[in-house]
Amino acid sequence: MFQKNRTALSSLLVLMFGIILFYNGTDGFQAFTAETARVNQLMAEKPQFPDITLEDNSGRTYSFSEFDGKYVFITFLYTSCGTVCPELEVNMSEVYKRIPKEYIGHDIQFLSISFDPERDDPQTLDTYRKAFGSDGETWRMARIPEQQELDSLLERFGVIVIPDEYGNFAHNSAFYLVNPKGQLIEVMDYTLIEKAADRVTEILHSGREE
Amino acid sequence: MMKSPVYGLLLLFALMLPPVANLLESIMITHMHMQMPLLIISGLFMAKFFQHRFPEFFSKWNENGVPGLLLFSIIMVYWSLPRTMDEALTLTSVEIFKFISLPFLAGVPLRDSWPKLSSFWKHALIIFFTILFLALGWLYIWSPVQLCNNYLIIEQITLGWGFISTAFAMVVYLIYSYFVDLSKYE
Repeated sequence: MFQKNRTALSSLLVLMFGIILFYNGTDGFQAFTAETARVNQLMAEKPQFPDITLEDNSGRTYSFSEFDGKYVFITFLYTSCGTVCPELEVNMSEVYKRIPKEYIGHDIQFLSISFDPERDDPQTLDTYRKAFGSDGETWRMARIPEQQELDSLLERFGVIVIPDEYGNFAHNSAFYLVNPKGQLIEVMDYTLIEKAADRVTEILHSGREE
Repeated sequence: MMKSPVYGLLLLFALMLPPVANLLESIMITHMHMQMPLLIISGLFMAKFFQHRFPEFFSKWNENGVPGLLLFSIIMVYWSLPRTMDEALTLTSVEIFKFISLPFLAGVPLRDSWPKLSSFWKHALIIFFTILFLALGWLYIWSPVQLCNNYLIIEQITLGWGFISTAFAMVVYLIYSYFVDLSKYE
């Protein structure tokens, strides 16, 4: 009888080990994929947008502090992308349309950042932006010419870009919202347009009241 | 005399060599369906060493084989999570844990448990993993999102089919063992 109890005890210990292992490995059963873990961590850390130089669709260059005092709604893309990026940008334009006009340009800036600075020069970006109804002002498309600056931004915002053998990139996509102080405050699912638009409007609204 | 633990250790060392590890990890399906099973196999080889060294421990605490079976299953399921596979590539601590847990916490207990288990538990294990692999295959193939940040979506689909094929092989085994009396051949 005692023998049986001992294996029951060791089974129990093994199970407890399992629970602890899974609890630790998934941040308390919250994040089963690295992407969820990444988003949760970003929202907790609120990393600062590094002060990097952008070159936009009109060929203007300026640092990110150009947008100081505004919320910035950001996506990362490359224009040669045939899969996720067009969908991402279409969805971004849908969010853009849903934000009350009074906020656009004053309280919030839309910005699409290319992580393929070699191919995405200002002309390419300008052609690309027209296809998605971006006005090039309140919604700009820009590249980061300095590879080092680009890498530091991608790392800080947890954007993983893997080049594949056909000159494409595999990458994770999301809507990013940076507050007027340049801190990342929201990472949103890019497929849930309504939800993202509502959340941004709510933030803008409470931002005005303050 | 006791050669198999040495081979097991050599296999583990070979798998730990950075070029070998990088090669196997560069493709999702070889990461999960070659490197990980090979790590478990290295543990299966090394089990004899621990059984000789600590006979009391195994006979006392793993008398009926069930605790070892549980530990094996927990480690297997843990490494089936998309997240752990991803983090093995980006976090050194997770990578180290992979090289320790799969041989010593999955391979060794499985070797010790298997002969002790009744055919009920053996079949339960295979049925459990058949269902798990079908579910994982379904998840990796038909998931609308990319589950792993470090791998392309096409690799994810390949891995999904790898799971389905393995599950299929296990179903074949189950049908076979139902119709054929295996004890006649032992």
